[in-house]
Amino acid sequence: MVTQNIESIDLSVRLGSLRLANPLMTASGTSGYGPELTSFIDLRKNLGAFVTKSVTVEPRKGNPPPRTVETSGGMLNAIGLANVGLERFVAEKTPFFEELNIPVIVNVAGHSIDEYVTVCCRLDSIDCVNGLELNVSCPNVSDGLEFGTDPVRLGELVATVRREVSNSLLIVKLSPNVTDIVTTARAAIESGADCLSMINTLQGMAINADSRRAILANTCGGLSGPAIKPVALAMVWKVYNRVAREAKVPIIGMGGIATWRDAVEFHLAGATALAVGTTLFVDPEAPAKILGGLRDYLDCNGISSVSELIGQVETR
Amino acid sequence: MANPPASLALGVSANRQLCRDHFRLTLCTEDFPAARPGQFLYLGPTVHADLGSTSSGTLGLRDSLPMPFLRRAFSIANLRRADGKCFIDVIYRVVGAGTQWMAGLRKSDQVSAVGPLGNGFGPRPENHDLWFVAGGVGFPPLMWLANSSADQANSRVFFFGASCADFVPSILSCGEDAGRASEIPGCAAVIATDDGSLGVRGTVVDVLTKYADKRKPDGPKITVYTCGPEVMMRAVVEFCSSRSLECYACLERAMACGFGTCQSCVVPVADELDGQGWRYALCCTEGPVFEASRIIWNHP
Repeated sequence: MVTQNIESIDLSVRLGSLRLANPLMTASGTSGYGPELTSFIDLRKNLGAFVTKSVTVEPRKGNPPPRTVETSGGMLNAIGLANVGLERFVAEKTPFFEELNIPVIVNVAGHSIDEYVTVCCRLDSIDCVNGLELNVSCPNVSDGLEFGTDPVRLGELVATVRREVSNSLLIVKLSPNVTDIVTTARAAIESGADCLSMINTLQGMAINADSRRAILANTCGGLSGPAIKPVALAMVWKVYNRVAREAKVPIIGMGGIATWRDAVEFHLAGATALAVGTTLFVDPEAPAKILGGLRDYLDCNGISSVSELIGQVETR
Repeated sequence: MANPPASLALGVSANRQLCRDHFRLTLCTEDFPAARPGQFLYLGPTVHADLGSTSSGTLGLRDSLPMPFLRRAFSIANLRRADGKCFIDVIYRVVGAGTQWMAGLRKSDQVSAVGPLGNGFGPRPENHDLWFVAGGVGFPPLMWLANSSADQANSRVFFFGASCADFVPSILSCGEDAGRASEIPGCAAVIATDDGSLGVRGTVVDVLTKYADKRKPDGPKITVYTCGPEVMMRAVVEFCSSRSLECYACLERAMACGFGTCQSCVVPVADELDGQGWRYALCCTEGPVFEASRIIWNHP
């Protein structure tokens, strides 16, 4: 075992203009607006950045229940973007962020380009909001198709928001429900994304054989948890090697991260930062455990900075 | 929430069968936050807690994903502190993968728990008659509530409904004597079974109605607490509404987190401040106990 001063290990990473003290973030929609987790974990000590649940212009009650169902190694969710709406978010939720002392990224959703622009412009002017993550897996009201599944439509959305956002890091959260995620990643980068986060949930369905009914009220939902990790790793690896590395656009890797090993694997695939999502439902202390494991791993392998892992997987 | 929940490893001190498919798991810890009836624990295998660890030599665990993936929520059935230890009971019925895992737990095994979670029952009104109306495996939170209400109540009656005698836990009856619950001392018990194999034949609402009809009109006020299958609770709530009785229902909803982040466990409740007159409340943080008149049962 190589021994070095474990305190000297550099866990910090850089996402464009933002410096994160460590690579761990929350995945949108899995940590509420922040205070929900504070009974269990010191957010400031254990997270490099905090990512909120989606915010839309108007408040949304969300889908009727059942909204989630457990599946093998994960779960499906169809929450329906339940949130308090932009104005209540600014008034009631941002004061917590002012005290947090880590970068805060707000996930933004909309059903038209105008809605995304409205939310992004308002939040871009708020000091304690450091990044905006576009949830592009929402259907466009005009034709019901998701923004994130078509590179032209995605490019138009990102370019429009890009023109309006000057202070915040602009992150595009890619949908895995596409034929070739490299194409949508390239569209996001060419339209001005500072950073990519990937992957969002995979579309899935659960059926009760006894009742012969769909389990979710929404019929289909998004699959998350350890079950999707191999899919996410492959997508991060492809996007990193085919477009993101060359464009110097960092990737926030996510999809089933539950352990420090998962964290190392995502770094090796090409992720600069990492988001823990569904695992937080099971273990709200997971970030502290993952961070400890990551630090031990770097120490045991004589690696002084976590950045040295990024994209270093050897292929056969 | 009165006390912030904690994430803890709890030791199994007993896991005893109470009747067909029903078990009582007694967990032990040195330190557990203050809790009250109606609050719940979120239980899972300790393998969850070890997944991120390198120091404990459990690196190999990551390839054997724990089943089930999510934790399971259980109302606390009793909590007692003695000799610097805290013993917490949960009572469960084996219905699926999570409860099968629990049924296999043995003394000195460990489980990972988050809790106490949720908003429990509020203070009981002084000098009311308290009626606890439970069905099936909904009785555990009401058992704790009944046992901690002895001082405030004018009188207490525990109504329990099950399909047949096999599903009546021994602790809610004294053998053939269906008028006493051995573990709710001083509280009258009324058992109803669908097939009449123990206690009164019929539903718990049938006996509730008979009880109410027998009362003198100028008697003490009654407050009703209910927990059980949804169809039973709806009937109880309807009954209470028809007799203008105050009623609180302890609900169960599938949830992924238990502390307000996953947004799974929504319950439609009336809210005059909302533009449409209703909103979704989270069963895990705002509930699981709700004033019954606020719940919208027939929500589309």
